[in-house]
Amino acid sequence: MTRPLLDIDDLYKSYGSEDVLEGVDLEMDRGDVTVLIGPSGSGKSTLLRCVNQLTDIDSGTVALDGTDVTRPEADVNELRKQVGMVFQDFNLFAHLTALGNVTLGPRKVLGMDADEARERGREHLEQVGLLDQADSYPAELSGGQQQRVGIARALAMDPELLLFDEPTSALDPELVGEVVDVMRDLADRGITMLVVSHEMGFARSAASDIVFLDDGEIVEHGPPEQLFETPEADRTREFLGRLQTEHEGTP
Amino acid sequence: MGSVVSVRPLTVGLALFWLWLSGRLANDFLLVGSVGVGRGEPFVPVAPFAAAADSAAALAASLGPVGEPVLWLAGGFEFAAEAIGYLPLLAGGIWTTVLLTTVSVCLGFALALPLSLLRVYGGRTARWAALSYTELIRGTPLLAQLFVLYFATSLTQVLRGVPGVGVGFVPAQAFWVAVISFSLNSAAYQSEYLRAAFDSVDSGQLTAARAVGLSKLEGIRYVVVPQGLRLALPSWTNELVYLVKYSSLASFITVQELFGRTSTLASETYQYTDLFVLAAVLYLALVVTASALMDRVESRTATVGVGHTRQ
Ligand SMILES: Nc1ncnc2c1ncn2[C@@H]1O[C@H](COP(=O)(O)OP(=O)(O)OP(=O)(O)O)[C@@H](O)[C@H]1O
Ligand SMILES: [Mg+2]
Repeated sequence: MTRPLLDIDDLYKSYGSEDVLEGVDLEMDRGDVTVLIGPSGSGKSTLLRCVNQLTDIDSGTVALDGTDVTRPEADVNELRKQVGMVFQDFNLFAHLTALGNVTLGPRKVLGMDADEARERGREHLEQVGLLDQADSYPAELSGGQQQRVGIARALAMDPELLLFDEPTSALDPELVGEVVDVMRDLADRGITMLVVSHEMGFARSAASDIVFLDDGEIVEHGPPEQLFETPEADRTREFLGRLQTEHEGTP
Repeated sequence: MGSVVSVRPLTVGLALFWLWLSGRLANDFLLVGSVGVGRGEPFVPVAPFAAAADSAAALAASLGPVGEPVLWLAGGFEFAAEAIGYLPLLAGGIWTTVLLTTVSVCLGFALALPLSLLRVYGGRTARWAALSYTELIRGTPLLAQLFVLYFATSLTQVLRGVPGVGVGFVPAQAFWVAVISFSLNSAAYQSEYLRAAFDSVDSGQLTAARAVGLSKLEGIRYVVVPQGLRLALPSWTNELVYLVKYSSLASFITVQELFGRTSTLASETYQYTDLFVLAAVLYLALVVTASALMDRVESRTATVGVGHTRQ
């Protein structure tokens, strides 16, 4: 039995008097693709931010590869090198080209020299199908292209774990496919991914595990077919029902 | 939209102005006594212009009422003659104004950058302190600030004691009091422009920088500051243009910059109108040069999607 890559244990987080996460337990092995679903405000983004320490936690532990990253003496910058993040709004660096976005981390954080960073950056852009846009600025790219640059930027740090926070929900429907394709490709290549997304196509075809989070608690988790077809909890059933009605009407 | 500044005659005029100024200064400080003309002596003789003015005036008188336009021409020649005579005496003042403005803007920027970063990213006390400074400076007249530094502090004495001040090329202490005053003042305004610019860089980019493994400070340095500086360029141009003109206040503490020099000359010669019209033209040349240079910087650093891009 190897130890899990990510091990979240009894995690609590509140903002002021508002309890956002109330005792979350979650384990992921290397190569797992876990899709996190749940209603708005249930704490999905907060959970991701706790994993790469963009937010402080109140209690509990988050361990990456056996190391508790929430200890005060833990090096957050060291942790963030190992955990990549892809954002809903892309958050690309507006003053840098696609290649510049991808190479900033390796150059400034890993201390890679400019030529090597560029060479590897091109490889990562090629992985997301954007080598021909290496010199374009974010404002010159479509939403789908921007998000693929966002993914390449995260990949460039060679992370152990990739976090995605609703990577397709800011996109026009016709652009969702190209991003999902890239994500599915990463999943196939064995990259460990924790994905907040209600993109059912991706969840069904690429996820190893679905986790349903509601009101700061994990209500239920399991493989996609089990969770989607035979959910145990009433709350899960109700949420999935709502999700379905919302998606009806959109092709 | 083509900018006014790229219009040819203006470019030629500015080029001539700067050519003259550098030639004048080189002559007066370096060549005088060897190959150059005498210090304060015009490059172009005044006499032909004065003569032209006289004959035009005579012609106008002989033409009677229809000679009015010729009379204007005479006035033009007369102004040209005066200008040629006075310009050499104003060159040092122009140079002092240029120095005063550029040094103050640069020092002000060096102070404004940390101030504005404290305003945006500092803790409570730091934010409060930076804001208080900005409001205190922006809420009081520049002339009052200048007088406080010059008359109410011992800054002048301290500066007088600094070796090198007032020797050779280095201006005397009043100039440096003005530089300090203008820098402190400009820092407050510039920090306000920069703060607004940094604020308008979407905070998600800083989060993304931190997620990539950069520290907050590195994220600010590599992501927020480059964009903020680009966004602040237009207001920076304004600041430069204002400071060129406000630097004339330095004449109140005896600095012989362009305005001070003009006033001194005018009180000696009583040629108030001609001299101040000439000074206005010279200020205009400085201001237009400043905005032309900043225009150049703006188009050089233009980036699609960062601030407003010109077509
Ligand atoms: N920085 C913050 N300060 C205060 N409250 C916050 C902060 N971030 C999140 N919250 C609150 O925490 C709760 C959970 O937010 P979170 O963004 O994690 O939810 P979510 O599941 O990602 O929702 P969504 O689907 O809308 O993105 C919300 O009620 C939100 O208002
Ligand atoms: Mg969210």
